[in-house]
Amino acid sequence: MTGFLTQRRMRLLNQVCWTVALCVAAIPFVFPFFWMVSSGFKSAAEIFGSPSLVPREWQWRNFIEVFNHQPFARQYFNSLYIAVTVTVLTLVVSSLAGYALARMRFAGAALIALLLVTALMVPEEVTIIPNFFMMRWAGLVDTHWPLILLPTFGSQGIMATFLMRQYFLALPKELEDAGKMDGLSRLGVWWSIALPMSRPALAAVAIITFLNSWNLFLEPLIFVSSLEKFTLPLALSNFTDPYGMPLWHLQLAATSLAVIPILVVYLIAQRQIIESFALSGVKG
Amino acid sequence: MTSLSLSNVKKHFGRVEVIRGVDLSVDDGEFVVFVGPSGCGKSTLLRMISGLEDISAGVLRIGDRIVNEVPPARRGVAMVFQSYALYPHLNVRDNMGFGLKVRKVPVDERARRVGEAARTLKLESLLDRLPRELSGGQRQRVAIGRAIVGNPEVFLFDEPLSNLDAELRVHMRSEIASLHKRLGSTMIYVTHDQIEAMTLADKIVVLRDGLVEQVGTPRELYERPDNLFVAQFIGSPKMNILPIGSVAGALPAHPYRASHVGMRPEDLELTDPGSGLVSGRVLLSEYTGASSLLHVELPDGEVFLVAYDSQMIDADTTVGLTIAPDRLHFFDVAGRRAN
Repeated sequence: MTGFLTQRRMRLLNQVCWTVALCVAAIPFVFPFFWMVSSGFKSAAEIFGSPSLVPREWQWRNFIEVFNHQPFARQYFNSLYIAVTVTVLTLVVSSLAGYALARMRFAGAALIALLLVTALMVPEEVTIIPNFFMMRWAGLVDTHWPLILLPTFGSQGIMATFLMRQYFLALPKELEDAGKMDGLSRLGVWWSIALPMSRPALAAVAIITFLNSWNLFLEPLIFVSSLEKFTLPLALSNFTDPYGMPLWHLQLAATSLAVIPILVVYLIAQRQIIESFALSGVKG
Repeated sequence: MTSLSLSNVKKHFGRVEVIRGVDLSVDDGEFVVFVGPSGCGKSTLLRMISGLEDISAGVLRIGDRIVNEVPPARRGVAMVFQSYALYPHLNVRDNMGFGLKVRKVPVDERARRVGEAARTLKLESLLDRLPRELSGGQRQRVAIGRAIVGNPEVFLFDEPLSNLDAELRVHMRSEIASLHKRLGSTMIYVTHDQIEAMTLADKIVVLRDGLVEQVGTPRELYERPDNLFVAQFIGSPKMNILPIGSVAGALPAHPYRASHVGMRPEDLELTDPGSGLVSGRVLLSEYTGASSLLHVELPDGEVFLVAYDSQMIDADTTVGLTIAPDRLHFFDVAGRRAN
């Protein structure tokens, strides 16, 4: 009995120690977030005054000012619809291409897979100038098309295709054979068997793509110049006074609003997000 | 009436020829088993019949139709896979009805056929479960059920019991046998398990290196193997083979072209040393319950297997071995049967 109690107490102590250690380790990650939200409620003067964790006076009007300073609602909508469109398109394109590369025998399949891996090694910054010229030639500068097409068919799309290919490679071939015996075409096998079985990979691709598109900064900076066509990352950097100095209280209030969709997605799909990062080898 | 025939059927993957010209006819309602060592092409041949593999050359007929170019779902065949291949995201009911749904069979008809198959296979209580919630035997029954609902003319089984434990395998074997009796359909079954082959088959096809070595009833294959390969492949423990020269003096009259003689372990009897066909020293006695298996070393170093159902015999005992003359199998230099 004594031994049992000791063992139980030890387990409890162990649990408490771990919890405390993890809480301490979380401080560097949680603190900036807390600081951002708290500063969003401060006045410009208080931000540059003596540092405080909780605002002395809660400035709710910062969140109204954000929408008056520039067409923030429109920019918010731009980011949302672009991220959703890119995510849906990437899911369709990467799952189709990944399936073809994993399962169909055709001349050059291995070469294409190799080219894809090679393309992953080229940083986006290297291709941004040729991409700009291409988009200008196509008349798509200062539209949202480059922000949809480049992530879908560029390195993010390739990464997604590669991830889907790897996942499809691991699916048992006998299931596809069973589908063929049941009368499915190749496309039917993809739709009715391969896709439903690849939900974890699809979730990974969806989450990573959405986050990437949501956070995209360089491409909007290069391709978009009209204020009402801005996406959130550009809009956030645009909360400045006439001299170009950042208006921190507005910027941090807007940033707090900008993280809401990401927080919602995270709260809904915590498990899938962790699995997706494990699956894709991408650090969160 | 659904017979099936293969005429000079060949299959090659690139330059490698895996099926090298197979001729075979399967009668309506027959249970045919393909056996052979690993890599002999038995599963490939089955997949060619199913349509999952193309036929490189030759003609495949199912019923009156040449089906070389017909897609799998239109051949009137259903296949049961080794790993069951149940769709993990669908429950038992949807797994069984999936093929019917793809073929746009009306919902009522689908439900009726799934219900009927579930009753036949005692799966009614499992219809709403997912495959991962089923045992191995239950999964296998669902896989068979999925094949049944399509009312196929020919059933194809690709080593369907190899993932089950020994006890369940015996049970499922008898279920497949009774299913064949009940449905009366043509069935082709691939296995490497001889007991399955011998107990289930009306006709066994022994394959080696993409060629048919012998086709016959289990009894024909066991009692009159056409060649040395079949003689040693069918039967467990395998047939003892000796060069004819080493026992020529002790043998009764034998065909002049015979170069090897075969004796099944269960046909050999023990006798006093020196009085039988050969004598040897007992190396090992394996007790298996109903009988013992003696490993007897002959003077020339060959080891003979003898099934022995009396009391134990100690190692190092010298024994004589004898056999009824009509139980001897003779083979010529090329390995073909000589008597």
